[in-house]
Amino acid sequence: MILFLQSLINGILLGGIYAACAAGFSLAFGVMGIVNLSHGDFVMLGAFVTYWLFVLLGWDPFLTLPLTLTILFFLGLFLQKLTLNRIAGAPPIMSYLLTFGLHLVISSLALRAWTADYRTLNPAYAGLNFSLCGLILPYSRLATFALALVLLCGLYLFLYRTEMGRAIRATSQDREMARLLGIRVFKIFAVAFAVSAAITGVAGSLVAQTFVVYPQMGLPFTVTAFCVVVLGGLGYVPGTLFGGLILGVFESLATTYLTAGLSLVLTFLLLLIMLIFRPGGVFGRGALE
Amino acid sequence: MKALTGGRGVFVFIAAIAVLAAFPLLGLEGYRLRLLTLLFLWISLAGCWNFMSGYTGYIDFGPVAYFGAGAYAAAILMIRFDLPFLAGMVFSGVVCAFLSAMIGWATLRIRGAYFAIATFAAAEAMKQICLEGDRVAGFDFFGGSHGLTLPAPPASEFFYYLLLGFVVFVVGITYLLEKNKFGYGLKAIRESEQAAELSGVPTLALKIKAYVLSSSLIGCLGGIEAYWLTYIIPDDVFNVLRTIQMVIMTLLGGMGTVWGPVIGAGFLTLAGEFLGARFVYDYLTILGVVIVVVILFLPRGVMSLAKRKRG
Repeated sequence: MILFLQSLINGILLGGIYAACAAGFSLAFGVMGIVNLSHGDFVMLGAFVTYWLFVLLGWDPFLTLPLTLTILFFLGLFLQKLTLNRIAGAPPIMSYLLTFGLHLVISSLALRAWTADYRTLNPAYAGLNFSLCGLILPYSRLATFALALVLLCGLYLFLYRTEMGRAIRATSQDREMARLLGIRVFKIFAVAFAVSAAITGVAGSLVAQTFVVYPQMGLPFTVTAFCVVVLGGLGYVPGTLFGGLILGVFESLATTYLTAGLSLVLTFLLLLIMLIFRPGGVFGRGALE
Repeated sequence: MKALTGGRGVFVFIAAIAVLAAFPLLGLEGYRLRLLTLLFLWISLAGCWNFMSGYTGYIDFGPVAYFGAGAYAAAILMIRFDLPFLAGMVFSGVVCAFLSAMIGWATLRIRGAYFAIATFAAAEAMKQICLEGDRVAGFDFFGGSHGLTLPAPPASEFFYYLLLGFVVFVVGITYLLEKNKFGYGLKAIRESEQAAELSGVPTLALKIKAYVLSSSLIGCLGGIEAYWLTYIIPDDVFNVLRTIQMVIMTLLGGMGTVWGPVIGAGFLTLAGEFLGARFVYDYLTILGVVIVVVILFLPRGVMSLAKRKRG
């Protein structure tokens, strides 16, 4: 029973991080229809920003979040203006390939710059935890989970309570109509993608607290984002929290009761089954074409 | 463009095949022979991807599922059951036809990004099964991350001619698609699936047929490569980079055209070989830049340049 509860809690804590990593993916897809294959590389870059600030300047990993947010925001804006804006409205295959090209460039440049070493953050409080009725709860995992929730709430408030957020949602619902109503669609694309990169980067900073950091970590996170977003509904941002929690718990239980290798197979089977039988996500609120 | 798709293109192609077939007899060997063999492999792979995705517009993002499955099917039949290569290759095709019929039957009902993600997931799932299957089930079958080693292959000329044959076969099929009802049906699906369905085109059946044909041929090619290189590991035969290469080659040459994959694969294989040898460490960065540049500046492929010039 303790084992079950422990893996359930591990899964929930993991799920929060997954949701934070995937929310930007959903946003970019919802607004621009772009399946961003370089998405995981923003996680990687965010993780490295935190890692280097911690190692070189001795910043506390949690204090690096605002800087990660800013750096990744402008990187997203730059990539959007330079490349993605030019293929808005092109067939979706263009976006897969373009973003895969970006993935290759970013991840191989990172590999050249930082080598393939596996790195971990170990601040003074890294291993501390407390136990509650026999369940072990590491402080850093709890803190990253809480911050992931804060991040998702922030994104939600931005999308649903601000004028810019309203314009972004309008654009994702009907691009032409939004344009007719005087929304500058390309500006919306730029902001949406920059926000997507920024929150993904912050999620990467959180990832660095508990995961191993290395230049090739991006693609697995892109795949995770796929799964989370399909579970929550592609393009439906609030759904990502539930998608993340479902995937986190699912993986954690599968790892405990089966094996780590098989848990990935099951994840992909879950993804396939979802896509075939319920492509709109568990709530059925995702974009359907 | 018209000259390429018309009789002259076929004539040039037949002449080129005849010259290529004569090369080994004229003393071509070693590295150059292997390079041309690699070129034929990629032309065939890109061609297979093209007549499914280029013609129907359904972007298959997991063709490596069948490449890898084919490689494993051939390897397992040859190692565990001591059967000859030809049986292994046929078995690869059969296994992949069976797998793709199942996966296609389920996934070809969903469209756009969903189909792309689903096929991608299928490929990753198969890779994980080959990686972890042994450990989970407790037997020695796929060889896990160590992969499998195949029996010693015959002379390089064998693969050269086999893959040259494949090029002719794949280009031939695509050429026929331009003329026959099956091909018209696939193109109708690409242009407007709903209109095709309403005009009485059995869209699902056609899509599955194209998918199974493409996948089983990719499976055979996987089997051939496994025997050629004699060594396979899951991370290589199921590598997502292979998928991207098939797609970008086709796109570079022109999707949904007969000669597009031939030109695209020809150019990228040679360019990749040249760059890979010269810039070992920066090869992937350069490939990424090339992909970005092609998408931004040549989205319809180099074939569109020829079209534009002719007015």
